[in-house]
Amino acid sequence: MGFARRNPLVVFGLLVVILWIALALLAPIIAPYDPQKQDVMLSLEPPSPDYPFGNDELGRDMLSRVLYGGRSTIPAGLVVVLIGSLIGTFVGAIAGYLGGLWDEIMMRLTELVMAFPTIILALAITAALGPSIRTAIIALVIVWWPSYARVVRSLVLEAKSQDYVEAMRAVGATGPYILFRTILPNCISPAIILATLDIGTAILTFAGLSFLGLGPEPSSPEWGRMVSAGVNLFDQWWTWLFPGLGIAILVLAFNFIGDGLRDLLDPRLRNR
Amino acid sequence: MPFHLYFLRRLLFVIPTLLGITALAFIIANAIPADPVVANLPQSVLNNKEVVDAFRAKWGLDRPPIEQYFTYLGNLLQGDLGTSIRSRNPVAQDLAAFFPATFELATYGIIFGILFGVGFGVISAIWRNSIIDYVLRTFSLIGVSFPVFLLALVGLSIFYVQLGWVGGPGRLSVRLPEPPMVTGWFTVDALLAGQWNVFSNAFSRIILPSLILASFVSGIIARITRSSLLNVLSLDYVRTARSKGLRERGAIWRHALPNAMIPVVTVIGLSYSNLLTGAVLTEQIFAWPGIGRYMFRASTSYDFPAIMGGSMVIAAIYVGVNFVVDILYYFLDPRIRFA
Amino acid sequence: MKGSRLRLMLLLILVLALSAVGVRAQEEQVLVVGHRESTDFYDPARGYTQTTGIVLRSVYETLVTFPDADTSAIVPALATDWSVSEDGLTWTLNLRSDAVFSSGSPVTAEDVAFSFNRVKNVGGSPAGSPAVANMASATAVDADTVEIKLNAVDPAFLVGLTSNWFAVSEAAVVRANGGTDAADAATTDVAGDYLDQNSAGSGPYMLESWDKTVQTVLVRNPNYVGTAPYFDRIIIQNLEPAAQQAALAAGEIDIALDLTSDQMAGFNADEVSIYRGPGNLIHFILMNNDPAIGGPVSNPLVQQAVRLALDYDGYKTLWGGVQPAANLAIGIAGALPESAALSRDVEAARALMAEAGYADGFEITMDYWDTTFQGVNLNTNAQKIAADLAEIGITVNLSPGEIGPKLEAYRAGTQAFGLWFWGPDINDPSDFLAFLPGGKVATERAKWPVEGVAQDVLDMIEAARSELDEARRLELYGELQLFNQQNSPFAPFNQPDIQTAFRADLQGYVWHPVWLVNLSLLSRA
Repeated sequence: MGFARRNPLVVFGLLVVILWIALALLAPIIAPYDPQKQDVMLSLEPPSPDYPFGNDELGRDMLSRVLYGGRSTIPAGLVVVLIGSLIGTFVGAIAGYLGGLWDEIMMRLTELVMAFPTIILALAITAALGPSIRTAIIALVIVWWPSYARVVRSLVLEAKSQDYVEAMRAVGATGPYILFRTILPNCISPAIILATLDIGTAILTFAGLSFLGLGPEPSSPEWGRMVSAGVNLFDQWWTWLFPGLGIAILVLAFNFIGDGLRDLLDPRLRNR
Repeated sequence: MPFHLYFLRRLLFVIPTLLGITALAFIIANAIPADPVVANLPQSVLNNKEVVDAFRAKWGLDRPPIEQYFTYLGNLLQGDLGTSIRSRNPVAQDLAAFFPATFELATYGIIFGILFGVGFGVISAIWRNSIIDYVLRTFSLIGVSFPVFLLALVGLSIFYVQLGWVGGPGRLSVRLPEPPMVTGWFTVDALLAGQWNVFSNAFSRIILPSLILASFVSGIIARITRSSLLNVLSLDYVRTARSKGLRERGAIWRHALPNAMIPVVTVIGLSYSNLLTGAVLTEQIFAWPGIGRYMFRASTSYDFPAIMGGSMVIAAIYVGVNFVVDILYYFLDPRIRFA
Repeated sequence: MKGSRLRLMLLLILVLALSAVGVRAQEEQVLVVGHRESTDFYDPARGYTQTTGIVLRSVYETLVTFPDADTSAIVPALATDWSVSEDGLTWTLNLRSDAVFSSGSPVTAEDVAFSFNRVKNVGGSPAGSPAVANMASATAVDADTVEIKLNAVDPAFLVGLTSNWFAVSEAAVVRANGGTDAADAATTDVAGDYLDQNSAGSGPYMLESWDKTVQTVLVRNPNYVGTAPYFDRIIIQNLEPAAQQAALAAGEIDIALDLTSDQMAGFNADEVSIYRGPGNLIHFILMNNDPAIGGPVSNPLVQQAVRLALDYDGYKTLWGGVQPAANLAIGIAGALPESAALSRDVEAARALMAEAGYADGFEITMDYWDTTFQGVNLNTNAQKIAADLAEIGITVNLSPGEIGPKLEAYRAGTQAFGLWFWGPDINDPSDFLAFLPGGKVATERAKWPVEGVAQDVLDMIEAARSELDEARRLELYGELQLFNQQNSPFAPFNQPDIQTAFRADLQGYVWHPVWLVNLSLLSRA
C-alpha cells in the first residue's frame, strides 16, 4: 500500500501493461469479430455502436484489429530485448573476463554497430533479407545487443577484482566455472533492470519499422502497420488513431515503470 | 593533458571506427544474394559489354572479396561512392543534395529540444517533487513514449488540415522558387535573399516536423538535466557554497549548472547525431527531401550503392558529431584537463 | 559609422533587387500537378509508363492523333494526309511544311524515319508494342514524305501511329547525344540519359528537368507552331496520395491525379472540382505459366479457379467501374460487355482446385507496386485478393514494393504471381493481342507458350490481326476474349472509374483514354 502511494505512476504503468497483455492474450475470446473478416459494404464506416472503433478500408472491424494488434507487437518487443540482452551479456562477459585483445575487438565491434543509427541499419538488413516480422526482429537484435555487452563488460571487470573471485581462484576453480557460476550471477540483475527499461523503446522501434512496411505483411493486424495504412486516410481518423494510441499508451506505461525503477535504484535520489 | 594531445588521441580512435564502418557496409552489401552488375547497372546498358566490363574492372569484381574491399576503399578515398541505380546520379552527389534538408530540420529539432529539455529539467530540479515537477516529467515521458508517426499524423490533421496554422508536407511550396543557394537551409537562404514570402513558407513547414522531433529529444534531455542537476546539488562543494549563505538560485546557476551540463552535453550530442542520421519516419511522413527519406527509398528499391554509400556517410556523421562532443568535454570537464 | 551606413544601404538595395527578381519569377503562370510518378524513361524509344505518356504528349508530336476528348476519328498532326498501297503493306504520309522542333529546325521526313527506326532498333519496351513490331522500315522519300513498310497487314496501323512511341524527335539532336537508329542501336544507342533530362520534340512544351522521384519540369516551347498553351511552366510533383490530398485542399497543387474517392470526400466543392467517368485501366492478376517459376499457379485449372474465386462485385463496391470480360478494356470497340464477364463461383473454384491436386491449397507470394494509382489503392486490392483466395485454400503472402524492382521482375518474366494494371497501348482491339498466345505480356511476362495452344485458336489470332473487314475483326476478338476467359494465365478483375480532383479555377480538363490528360489544354480562370 505504501509503495503504491509513493509510486502511483509505477503502479499505474504496471496495471496498464498487465491489462494490455491480458487484452492481447484474450483477444480471440473478447474481440467482437474476426480481425481479418472483410466486408466491403462496411468500407471506412466511422465508429458506431456495432463497431465502436469503426471499420477500415476493407470493412474490417478496427476494435478487433487493435485488440489483436498487441499479439505481434508486444512479443516482438520482448523477443528483441530478450535475445539482445542474452547475446550482449554473453559477449560482454567473455570480453570482460578474457580482457586483452578479445576485449579490444569486442568493444570496437560494439562501437561500430552503435555508430549505425538503428533504422538505417535495419533498412539495410531488410533490403538484404526482405521484409517480414522475422527480419525486423533480426535487424533490431543486431542493433540491440551492444549496449548490454558494454554494461555487462564493465560489471564483470568490476567483479573480477573482488575478493571472492580471488578466493575462488585460490581454491583452484577454473575460468569458465568462475565466470558462469560466480561472476555472471552477480551481473544478471543490472542487466535485467536495463532490459525492463528498454522494452518500451524496443516496441516503439519495432512499430516504426512496421510503419515503414519493413515488418509484418500488409494485411496483418499489427499496430504500426495499421497506422501506416491510415496515412492515406487523414479524414478517416479512426483508421490510424486507435492503433497509434495502442502503442503510445503501452510504451508510456513501460516508461512509467522504468522511470520509477530508476528512482528506486538510484540510492542518492531515493530519499529526496 | 594538453589539448593537442587529447585531440590527437581522440582522432586516432576515430580512424579504426571509420574503417570498421566501411567494412561493415561492405559485408552487408556483399551478403545480398544478387549479381552486383545486375543490381547496380540500369537494365538498358546490361547488354552493352563495354559498360559492364568497365564496371567490373572499376570495382574489382573479378578479384577475391578482400581485394574488392580495398578497391572499394580506394574509390572511396577519391570520393567515389558509386552510382545510385534509382537516381542514376553519383551517390556522393545525391547525398550532398539531400543533406541540407536533413541538416536544417535536425538543427531546428535540436534547438527546440534543448530549449524545452533543459528548461523543463532545470524547473523540475528546482521544484523537485512538486506538482510542476510531476507534470513536466509526465510530459517528458509522453514525449519519449508516443510514436513519432502518431504525433506527426495528429499534428498534421489538427494544425495543418483543420486549423491551417502550419504548412504542409515538403520543404517549400512548389509554387515558390527555391531561394538562391548559400547555406542550403531554405529559411536562412530566404532571409539572406530578403525573400520574406519564401522564408515564411519554409518556416511554416519546418516548424511542425522539428517540434515533433524535439518532443522525443527534449524528453530525454529533460530527464538527464534533472537527475544530473540533483546529483550535483548534493555534492559537497555546492553544499558548502550554500552553507556560505549563497541563495539557492545563485548556487544553482553559478556552481551546479555548469557541472551538471557534462552528461547533458553528451545526451545532446547523441540526440543531434540521431536526428541528423535517423529521422526516417519524420522525413517520410512530412515528405522531407532529406537523407532519411533517401535511404528509405534506396532500401525499398534495392539501390545497393545508395544504401552502402548512404549508411557509410551517415555512420561517419555520427562518429563526427561524437568526436566534437568528446572535444567539448575537454573544456567542460576539468578532470580531463588536469589528468 | 559612415562606412557601415553605406554598407547597410547597399545591402538594402541588393535585397530589394533580389526580391524584385523573386516577384517577377512568380508572375509566370505555373501549373502544378500532384502525381505518384511511374516514369521509367522520358526517351520516347524507351519510356512506356502512364506518367511517361502524359509528359511525352506535351513534349513530342506524332504524325496523326485523336481529337482532344475522344478517339472517334484519326486526325492530322505532323502529317497532313496519307495513303496505303493496294496490298496494305506500304503507307505513305505527307508532312506539314511549317512544323519546327523546339530548336527552331524544321521537322523533316528524315527526322520521322530516324525516330521510327530508332524506336524499333533500340529494343526498349515500346519496340514490343504490336504496331512497332509490325513495322519493317521507315524511309524518307523526300523532305516531307515518309514511307512506312509493314510486315503484315495491320488494320489498326493508324491508331498505332497515334501512340507516343511514334513521337518524332529531332535526329540531329539525338545523334549529337549518342543516339542512333542503326540495327545495333540496342547496344550502341546511349542517348537515353540525355533524353531523360531534355527533349528534342516539336510539342507545346520542352522537358526542362527530371529529378527522379521528386519532380518533372516542363517549360513552354517558344518555337511551337500550334496554339500557344496557357501555362509557361508545368511542374509534375511526385507526391504520395495523402500529400496530394492535403496540397490540393491548400491550393498548392492545381490538380491531383491519384486520389481515391474516400480522399476526395472532404473537399469543399467551391474550391475543388471533381471529374468522374469511366476509365480504361484494367487491374489484373498475372500467373506465371512456367511451372519452374509459377509453381501451382502455372496449372490452368488453378488459373481458372483463381478467376472463379474473386469477389468481382466487391472490387466494384470499392472503386466503382465495371468488370471486364477479359484483358480488353470496355469502351474499346470489340470489347465484350460486362454481361459476358465471369461470375464468382467459389464451389466451382474449389472443385477445380481439387481436380488440380490442390484440395488442401497451397501458399504463394504476390508481388505488387505499393501505391495508389489513379484512385485505386493496390495495397487494398492485394489484401482483398488474399482474402478471396483464402476461401479456396490459397494462402497469399503479400510482397509490396517500389515500382522499379517489381517492374523489372515483371518485364523479365520471373514473377510467379503479380498484381498489375494495364492501360491500353492502343485504343483498338488489337491491344488485346498482347494477352493472347504469342503476344508480349503472354509470352514474355507470363511465359505462356504458343506450343500447346490449339491450332484453330492460333489461326483465329492471325486472322484477327490482319482482318480488314471491321465487323468480322471485332467478332474474332470477341471469340478470343471468351477463349482467354477460360484458358489464360490472367485474371482481370476490375476496370475502375477515373476520378480526378482539381482546383475549381482550372479550366480545360478533359480525360483522354489514350494520353489520360493533355496538360497543354489547361488554363486558369
